[in-house]
Amino acid sequence: MSAGTYASLVDLAAGLLLLSAVLVVWRRDLRAATRLLAVQGAALGAIPVLAGIRARDAHLLVVGAAVIALRAVVFPRLVAARLRGAPSHDREGAPVVNTATSLLVTALLVTAAYALGGSLVHAGPSSSARAAPVGFALVLVGVFLLATRRHALSQVVALLLLDNGIDAVAFLASHGVPPVVELGASLDVLLAIVILGVLAGRMHEKFGGTDLDDLRELHE
Amino acid sequence: MSAGAPDARDAPATSGRRHERAALAAGIATSLLGAAGVALGVVAVASGVGPVRVGGALPLAGVTLAAGATGGLFLLLTGAVAVAVGAYSAGYERHGSTGPAQLAAVPFFVAAMLLVPLAGSATTFLAAWELMALASLVAILADHARAAVRDAARWYAVMTHLGFVAILLAFVVLGAAGHADALAVLERRAGSLSSSSRDVVFLLSFLGFGAKAGLVPLHVWLPRAHPEAPSPVSALMSAAMVATGVYGIVRIDVEVLGGGPRWWALVVVLAGATSALFGVIQASVSTDLKRLLAYSTTENMGLVTLALGSSMLLADYGERSLATVALVAALVHVVAHAAFKSLAFLGAGAVLFATGLRDLDLLGGLATRMPATTGLFFVAALGASGLPLGAGFVGEWLLVQSLIHSRPGTGTLLALVMPVAVGVVALTTGLGVAAMVKASGIAFLARPRSAEAARAHEVPAAMVAPMATLAAASAVLAVAPSALAPALGRLARELPGHPGSFPQLGLLLRLPGVAGSVSPGLLAVGVVAASGGVVALRALVGRSRRPRGTRAPLWSGGAGALTERMQYTATSFAEPLQRVFDDVLRPDVDVEVGHVEESRYLVERVRYRSRIGDVVEERVFSRVLDGVHAWASLVRRVHNGSVHRYLAIGALALVAAVAVAR
Repeated sequence: MSAGTYASLVDLAAGLLLLSAVLVVWRRDLRAATRLLAVQGAALGAIPVLAGIRARDAHLLVVGAAVIALRAVVFPRLVAARLRGAPSHDREGAPVVNTATSLLVTALLVTAAYALGGSLVHAGPSSSARAAPVGFALVLVGVFLLATRRHALSQVVALLLLDNGIDAVAFLASHGVPPVVELGASLDVLLAIVILGVLAGRMHEKFGGTDLDDLRELHE
Repeated sequence: MSAGAPDARDAPATSGRRHERAALAAGIATSLLGAAGVALGVVAVASGVGPVRVGGALPLAGVTLAAGATGGLFLLLTGAVAVAVGAYSAGYERHGSTGPAQLAAVPFFVAAMLLVPLAGSATTFLAAWELMALASLVAILADHARAAVRDAARWYAVMTHLGFVAILLAFVVLGAAGHADALAVLERRAGSLSSSSRDVVFLLSFLGFGAKAGLVPLHVWLPRAHPEAPSPVSALMSAAMVATGVYGIVRIDVEVLGGGPRWWALVVVLAGATSALFGVIQASVSTDLKRLLAYSTTENMGLVTLALGSSMLLADYGERSLATVALVAALVHVVAHAAFKSLAFLGAGAVLFATGLRDLDLLGGLATRMPATTGLFFVAALGASGLPLGAGFVGEWLLVQSLIHSRPGTGTLLALVMPVAVGVVALTTGLGVAAMVKASGIAFLARPRSAEAARAHEVPAAMVAPMATLAAASAVLAVAPSALAPALGRLARELPGHPGSFPQLGLLLRLPGVAGSVSPGLLAVGVVAASGGVVALRALVGRSRRPRGTRAPLWSGGAGALTERMQYTATSFAEPLQRVFDDVLRPDVDVEVGHVEESRYLVERVRYRSRIGDVVEERVFSRVLDGVHAWASLVRRVHNGSVHRYLAIGALALVAAVAVAR
């Protein structure tokens, strides 16, 4: 693979990451969000696979395969399985701020990511590190979604987005991470999803909904 | 444990047997660990242990074990106490309600305490130190259904972890400046450290180790945790764990840092003197038997620290041999304290076992009901009072000798500090005698002051035997301290600045370059011979002159039969002291006079209530806690319970952190 092809393919993957993130912010339906997460996971896994093909490094291929398996298949399916049992009013993201404002804030956050993450560009190999602020933008958008979505499952989606962002920074700004580290990070997220899923189920049983604002009653 | 409670109701017999087996297993494990500690201690004193490196035991750093004579002495001490306490607790916990987790914590606690002097690297030391704190915390919480126990555990947890943070920071500074983890390497490089980083290491480590040793003002956990813990755990904590604080000071501040400027010694002397005085004053007015013993621990650790500080000061003024005497005094006293204080706590445990009481004002009359326990407690009390024939005498005598024999004209500071220190030791010993007379006299002699005390029976032989062993150890330390001489000789040669001339601890205690000498062994023989002579003489002479006995009603000035209410109580015994030290103790006294309805001039009853808290806790720590509360309520305003708000704060913090890091 030539350097030019590699660079444009990595840019394509990074573009997909960003686009899917913006679409998650835009769409209120959580089922659509899980499909977008699957696309995002595939794009994320493509980055180490591309780097592995280019550098002829089997480790990176293993990492890429693991990322695709977990983030494009397992995680979205777990969330989707949770959604299937939930009533329709819980399948919406139910943002605290409206969609237009959310998109505007997302645009601001992406700009901020490029402004703040400038130093990341010089951190790694030039061809992929140029795209590293995308990962940073994903992290910021993920945190923004965490702060503005009401329902527990939309929080899970936001958490996955945030973690995809962290992984993207790791893949783009460095020559890839060792399989053990990637495995550890992904298993953490898996655990978090399972726990949040159970928590959402319990909340649904107790309060008849998973609106986080109901939790305010538990204060003190 | 709460999980065990329904079991106990459903099948008391099976769960009782299971509990007995668990108690027995925990006791045996504790004793075996103690025996291993003694064996390792002997080896360490004779030839040193290690360094042995176990790579996989801790991630990244691994575990390094190494011990010289210093570690060996403390291994011996901890091991010996654990052997006796393990045997005792198997009997003590048999009928107790201590849960399995708390029973299992005791062997872990002992193992961690043995690991502390064995640690050869900073990381191992810190890991062992933290393990010791956690295991002892679980062991304290045996009776966690009571609020006082939970309160004590909370105080202990906070104080011990603040101390841990200080020690951790000290090791961070030391390790960063010396570029090493192994203590032996740090010891070689400590001399080339900058004086400011040495000062920081000294202050932080002394703070942390002082908190563990129960020095004022960081002693507040001690009078809470020791009374509320099960008695075997109190014995372990007071005799062995507190000594690890002294070990830390000797190992890190004296051995690794190798001494420092004069003000270090002054800080140590001051902390020791304050602790000794404050501890003994509080002990002399305490009415709770175990609280009294806990304050006595602060007093004794204060004396040990005073001796260590004097040793540092004397060495700084070039009085090498006197510095060695003071150092030996400190170490002898640590060992003696371990023997008599563990015995005293086990004795208090036996009283608690037999009567369920700790309040001295309700005890009494146990001498006829529990003769063995009484005799053994008296041995401990004699040791704690620092009189000849008691285990505490040798250390205190050596300390006084080192204090009074400094040559005139050596230095103004020395001439100022030494007499004051002698005064402190004298006052401490005097009040210590009062405290111990109160503890043993009020608790065991005269008539019982409550029905529980009147119903008391002697504890089983399984509990008496370990106490008897400790009493024998105390007696050996009191009469023939030369048993310690080989260990102490090697230890003194290991520490920097102590020459070969070493006080002889044989039949006569001879000090290098000093005229004073005393023989505790001959003193003992003399006292025994004299009292034997008096008894024999009385038997010979008295038989012929003894008047014929007559039975008549007791003369009582018309007040009727004597009752137990006419005896001294612990409160009344200590009342004069309470008046003298009014300013330090700040007692909360309330006298309520009830009149007969018909006449204001006739008193129906007088109610006297006095409560003595810990002035440091009430004056200093309550302010600190108020400050923390004020800060917390300020922060709490932000916490309105909205998850979104918390997440938004997190998001803002992230962006701010990135912006700053950029």
